[in-house]
Amino acid sequence: MNRLMALMKREFWENKGAFRTTPLVIGGIFLAAMVMFLVTFNHFDNEFQSLKELLRFVAQQDVELRDQILYAANLEMSVFFSMVLAFVVFFYLLGSLYDDRKDRSILFWKSLPASDTLTLGSKLLSAMFLAPFIFWVVYVITHIVIMLLFSVVILILGENPWTLFLSLGSPFEVWSLVLVSYFTNSIWLLPLYGWLMLVSAFAPRIPLLFAILPPVILGVLELWIDFLQTFTLNDNLFGLFGRWFANSPLIMSGDEHDNGFGAAIGIPIFGDYDHEVTVANMFDRIFSTDMLIGLAIAAVFLGGALWLRRRATES
Amino acid sequence: MNNVIEAKGLTKRYSNTIAVDNIDLNIPEGRIVGLIGPNGAGKTSALKAILGLATYDGHLSVLGKSPSRDRAALMEDVCFIADVAVLPRWIRVWQLIELTEKIHPKFSRDKCLQYLSSTKVTLEHRVKQLSKGMVAQLHLAIVMAIDVKLLVLDEPTLGLDILFRKQFYTNLLNDYFDEQRTILITTHQVEEIEHILSDLIFIQDGRIALDSSMDDVQQRYSELMVPPDMAAAARELQPMNERELFGRHIFLFEDANRMQLKELGEVRTPSVADLFVAIMNGGES
Repeated sequence: MNRLMALMKREFWENKGAFRTTPLVIGGIFLAAMVMFLVTFNHFDNEFQSLKELLRFVAQQDVELRDQILYAANLEMSVFFSMVLAFVVFFYLLGSLYDDRKDRSILFWKSLPASDTLTLGSKLLSAMFLAPFIFWVVYVITHIVIMLLFSVVILILGENPWTLFLSLGSPFEVWSLVLVSYFTNSIWLLPLYGWLMLVSAFAPRIPLLFAILPPVILGVLELWIDFLQTFTLNDNLFGLFGRWFANSPLIMSGDEHDNGFGAAIGIPIFGDYDHEVTVANMFDRIFSTDMLIGLAIAAVFLGGALWLRRRATES
Repeated sequence: MNNVIEAKGLTKRYSNTIAVDNIDLNIPEGRIVGLIGPNGAGKTSALKAILGLATYDGHLSVLGKSPSRDRAALMEDVCFIADVAVLPRWIRVWQLIELTEKIHPKFSRDKCLQYLSSTKVTLEHRVKQLSKGMVAQLHLAIVMAIDVKLLVLDEPTLGLDILFRKQFYTNLLNDYFDEQRTILITTHQVEEIEHILSDLIFIQDGRIALDSSMDDVQQRYSELMVPPDMAAAARELQPMNERELFGRHIFLFEDANRMQLKELGEVRTPSVADLFVAIMNGGES
């Protein structure tokens, strides 16, 4: 356990830029945008003459409606973080078993009494939980700073920030939902993560190419063969990928619900799963038959990655 | 005495070549063994097998463990420097020390810091900011602070200047080596290590050409230097090797009668480098 923690610390140190600086930059962008909005609001050609007027107007609206809109907005604030996180994890995994082979520092790592399984595990866990957790912490902090800033401005303008918005939009619930969606999404994407690690352990150079080309070639071939046989385009590899992503438990779009419009998990274009943002719906995905198949595929890929890692110093 | 390394029929095949060809090897504890051979002789392949970095055929046991199956467990008692400058370039010295401390149960931070205090390496340095010599010093400081039974050094001083190289081996001998430890070294700079070796193994074309203690080597081999007019007489005694230097003929003999040689000229113990050349050339003809 100590060794695993030490190895994950190493992943953090090596990828500080991606794991820590990147979410801080996003948080900074949010804060900068917010300050710019406050400063320049009066200069916009807007139906409201001042911020004070806008606040008055908001305060007059129905409380339930305000609660609902704020709730959805709070959830959707995570989307930018999630999208960048996805890129960070993608490239992290692609380099995870490649970089130290390239600069030969694998020879040092293999001189330590840590098994290849533990090393691989530390990298996978860093991608699944460490990076998302750091992004989540920065997202929450950004959210809190924005709420504080707004409260101060509202106080200065003589309104009550508590009744206006602090008591609405259930921030604690939103934060928990985002964290659960990050972790369940990491499980849902295990086949992809396994594939990236396999490629990372295998690629003699340019892992990105090896990660993308085979599925694209396979997919195109499949489309073509399908088309030759049936002259229609039904289920195929691309469709499968699309479905997998659209059904992911990550909050990434909006959707209409019984009680109006709100955030959605995944992209609600397939009817396979319920896309409303609830923990139950997230768990639905990772306790499904689809997930079982995904786990089996992930196990094959990760097993392959481990096999290759053991032989990485062979020549 | 316990054998640290035991190999029987050790073989390493690549797709179309045999790098290590059916080697038998026993290395007891408390020795400093030089594994010497020309490029491509199979040194590195043999070391990789011993360290669990590569697969192999045949029987191999290192400290009673199988390197291919128990690499992680084995690394608690074995340390190696595989090459210069394989420390990760992004890491800071304090991070390297903290990681090694957490992962290696036999690492002593105090010892490591003590070794480092005599160098210019500081804790805040990143490895990529260090010169090649400083990286080697850092790696050696880490390795010497780990209390292991077997230390394997594969070309540890390649590309370093003579000051670093001398210091490297002095530190190794004075501060690290004792009867419980075994050191296995490969290097091309044979002259620099021959004084610290207790055993010598020559390897050629994947086979062992010589496996002997330094004491035995000094008993078995003699070098004779004679002026040209005595060369014919020396040749009759069937030397292994003959070369010419400044107009004098130098012969290398195995198991020769030294008294008999002394009548012909000056007799010395050959250097490891000369012995190496003689045996390697003999093996080829």
